[in-house]
Amino acid sequence: MATVAVYIEAFSHYAEAMRLPRTLVTPHPMGRPLGPPLAAERQRQVIEAALRLIYTAEASGAVERIGGAYRPGSPTS
Amino acid sequence: MTDPDAVTESLEDFARSLSYGERSDLSFKFLVRFAGTDVGDAVAAMLVEIGGLFDDGDPAALIDLAIRLQSEGYKSRSLDERYHYEEGPFSRPPRPLAESRVVLLTSSGHFATGDDPQPLGSQAMSQAEAEKRIGDFLKEPPTLSEVSTLSPADAIEVRHGGYDIRGSVADHNVSFPIDRLRELEADGIIGSLHQTAYSFVGACSQTRLIKHTAPEWADRLMSTGSDIVLLVPV
Repeated sequence: MATVAVYIEAFSHYAEAMRLPRTLVTPHPMGRPLGPPLAAERQRQVIEAALRLIYTAEASGAVERIGGAYRPGSPTS
Repeated sequence: MTDPDAVTESLEDFARSLSYGERSDLSFKFLVRFAGTDVGDAVAAMLVEIGGLFDDGDPAALIDLAIRLQSEGYKSRSLDERYHYEEGPFSRPPRPLAESRVVLLTSSGHFATGDDPQPLGSQAMSQAEAEKRIGDFLKEPPTLSEVSTLSPADAIEVRHGGYDIRGSVADHNVSFPIDRLRELEADGIIGSLHQTAYSFVGACSQTRLIKHTAPEWADRLMSTGSDIVLLVPV
């Protein structure tokens, strides 16, 4: 099975050290890796980026960072 | 004149109070990793941004600062050398995403209402108790909870003594994104979403997780016939 993990930036060094197959890193606070509450578009953007990495990564240890900022209170955040 | 009975508290003491101490705050427990003066600088910087809110009411700068400080705090310590690997596993997906079955596994501590994993033998453990007993959790093997991916929000609960669950309580999708995955399935972005999502409390005995539990769970995930596993560690 192909795997991809979503990590917040604060813990990304763990994913890199463990050489996970694929890691999408988000600039979000602890406890909210996919995005702010009720920010459906942002959450979906993160998941889609993670799933794309399933197909674009060439070897274990693949790490990508998604841009954007953590902005609660907005659906798009 | 100094009160001889006054209790003094150093910045280090203050930081320790945030990490499962009398002022426990799981979003800011990372401050215990800072040296005393750095604790003071961090708090002072946050106060500056709070002061700015009086005028523009825009919390963006404060949020960005807090996130940056969190990152600095947790990155100040590297992972135990036992968990450093030169190479890792890598499996390619067997089919395009629009034809693939996806299964979700998180360490966010979600479970279905009525199916409380009853950690440490406790029925209906509160979040506060989970935080108080974090040391006990770290010695125990984890329990994998199963949640139907069709579950509505009021049929899902979360409890985890290792992180601030307020975001997850407000919207499970911040760490357990079954609604978003259902939408991706409905939109044809993914082939299908496995009917069961899995979650456990990541604050557990790491040795037991690695040596015993995770291999068993890997077999369970394989048996779902899924092509892709989306992992959300919290």
